[in-house]
Amino acid sequence: MEYTRRSVLTALGLGAVAAATGCSASSGNSQATADGPVEGEISLLTPLFEGSTGKDLLEGKLLPAFKQKNPNVTVKVDYTTYAALNEKITTSLAGGLMPDVVMLGVGWIPPFAHKKVLAPLPDDLAKRYEYEDRVLEPSRYDGKLYALPMVLDTRIVTYRKDLFAEAGIKAPPKDWAELREMSKELARSDSSGKLSRVGFDPFSIDLRQCWETFLFANDGNLFDESGQQVKFNDDRGVEALQLFLDVIKDKSADYSFKSAAGQPTTLQQGRSAMMMSNNSLWVQLKKQNPELLKEDKVGAFILANKVPAMLQGGTMVARSASSKHAAAAQALVEFMGTPESILPTAEQRGSVPGVQDLRTSDYVKENGFVKLALDNMSKARSEGGTAAWMEIREKIKTTLETAVVGKRTAKEAIDELANLSKEAISRL
Amino acid sequence: MAPTRDRVRATASGPSAAPPRGRGLQRARRRAGLLMVAPAVLHALIWIGIPLVAAVVLSFTSYDVLTPPRFIGLENFRDLLSDNVFRRAVLNTSIYTFFTVPVAMGIALLIALMLNTRLAGRAIFRTAIFIPQVTATIAVALVWLWIYDPRSGLANAVLSFLGLDGPAWLSSTDWAMPAVIVVGIWQGIGLKMLIYLAALQSLPTDLYEAASVDGASKFRQFFSLTLPLLRPATFFVFVTSVIGAFQSFDQVYILTDGGPANSTTMMTYEIYKSAFREFRMGYACAQSLVLFALLLFLTLLNRRITGGDRATR
Repeated sequence: MEYTRRSVLTALGLGAVAAATGCSASSGNSQATADGPVEGEISLLTPLFEGSTGKDLLEGKLLPAFKQKNPNVTVKVDYTTYAALNEKITTSLAGGLMPDVVMLGVGWIPPFAHKKVLAPLPDDLAKRYEYEDRVLEPSRYDGKLYALPMVLDTRIVTYRKDLFAEAGIKAPPKDWAELREMSKELARSDSSGKLSRVGFDPFSIDLRQCWETFLFANDGNLFDESGQQVKFNDDRGVEALQLFLDVIKDKSADYSFKSAAGQPTTLQQGRSAMMMSNNSLWVQLKKQNPELLKEDKVGAFILANKVPAMLQGGTMVARSASSKHAAAAQALVEFMGTPESILPTAEQRGSVPGVQDLRTSDYVKENGFVKLALDNMSKARSEGGTAAWMEIREKIKTTLETAVVGKRTAKEAIDELANLSKEAISRL
Repeated sequence: MAPTRDRVRATASGPSAAPPRGRGLQRARRRAGLLMVAPAVLHALIWIGIPLVAAVVLSFTSYDVLTPPRFIGLENFRDLLSDNVFRRAVLNTSIYTFFTVPVAMGIALLIALMLNTRLAGRAIFRTAIFIPQVTATIAVALVWLWIYDPRSGLANAVLSFLGLDGPAWLSSTDWAMPAVIVVGIWQGIGLKMLIYLAALQSLPTDLYEAASVDGASKFRQFFSLTLPLLRPATFFVFVTSVIGAFQSFDQVYILTDGGPANSTTMMTYEIYKSAFREFRMGYACAQSLVLFALLLFLTLLNRRITGGDRATR
């Protein structure tokens, strides 16, 4: 056979296209059923059990318990972090090696369910335990249940009671006007005029999640119920971002007041009087500053303006639609969604258990922030709600940041974000 | 020549075989040549050729990994034209390259010149300067994260000692890019220095002896002899440094995550975000092609300006 340059190039081009389409074909569009024997080797991709403590819990306690109930199932674990979860899923899908069971964040179900990557679960699983409606909402897409909540992470406001007392402030702020005034009173500067303590640190958590919390407390929404319309670009969204600019302008907050990962937070260091926080701060305080808890110097409240609201994220467990051992995968999903699996997982991370049944557990009773979150779960709101969320979530921080650093006004940044979101939704 | 050719024939066909005809020998040589280059060609075809063709094909599609690619013509490229963040990434990458490549090359040449002398303990210096090159960027970046920490970092401690108020290096839109550039320069010096040093050690000494006899000063020798003779090395260092700078990713990924407000985002970082965080593989392929075209243009331009890797003597 004679090989001409043209024939070689044509073959290369066709090969490349075949490779490209082959990748997608292997992602498995068919909805696997969970019938059949509960057996086989299945894989689990998890961002929840990273580190040696997490690994010990999963492989030393949880999976042996699962194996006892399902002796014919072997689980291979792929550990990751939330930062790398996206890449793991993308490369798994591209390589046709989507894990049988995957743990995902709140907001991730609609995009993956829309693309038929996840298999729906029997709806009666949503009634096995006592779930708050708000908690199950992010697990559903198009009326079907796709995941079971494991642990939740809420965003609350934490504050230093000793610094409040020192400033003569008796109770946490009830709305943003009070929040702004108190922040001014609580902020301190050194002799050169440089901020040594911020009154309020909204930048202690991810800017996206912080703005969402403020948006929800201003009674705003990210998207409409269909997930097709952007709803955050009204006054409520702009005001939420404007508040960050206002506290910076008041010199009661500073964008550079950040603590490096693993370091004590600004609240622990006494460099902020109020701080946006994840409920896991309680565990961090117990480890790093137990005296602050012992002396009752730290409190927490739910952010409120037009309504009280807290952002509720978390981790859910779902089954891949392309699993070859669907029954085994579903058995693992069901097992990970039980209170027996949830409680030690939540304890390990300082998270909120995903089922209300655990409200009476010792862990919840002794963890003030987790208790506050569970008591206020009816005020919880979640991010996501559109199939284009994976793309939009990446744009939020970088776009809002342009306003925070003074490159744009709050309205310009929100309008830009709305345009980017509309484009992403139009591509669905 | 004839006896030599006969010897070659005898060697090629073995001592006992009859001497093959000219055409047969040519064919045998060609086959041997093809066999020898086959592994390299196969490697290039599998790891460079196919991905390149796939990237070109996918750049005309909407492909999210989850569903099969859908042909959308030039839409990805049209989107690129209106993508402010990617434009910013192109600008940032150009700024980063503009500052890191010449500065690092200049410092590397200077150090190589110093290490090319009979300096005491030069092996230690050489190793110390090369260490950043072989250290994992993650580790390097973590050290720099501490250096740039506005409260407890080394950079602001030094500035404070000098009576200056240091900025919040990585949170400031004005200072984040210079901070990343400094890391890029520091990390890039080692390899460039090594290449220059190897080139310096292979320069012919007779020319320098002649120049000395003619009364040329060291300064004159450097500009009239060393620099022109280093042209092939400079071309190589420049091309690889530009490519390296355009592909820099890890420093930004760890130090700034492209922020604040996209002030340090780079082309490779945007490609990564599009592909693996936003699931826009087709768009990421279009972005990659722009990067490829830019690098090709810069390499050809440099070849045209400097005369490529031809040495002057």
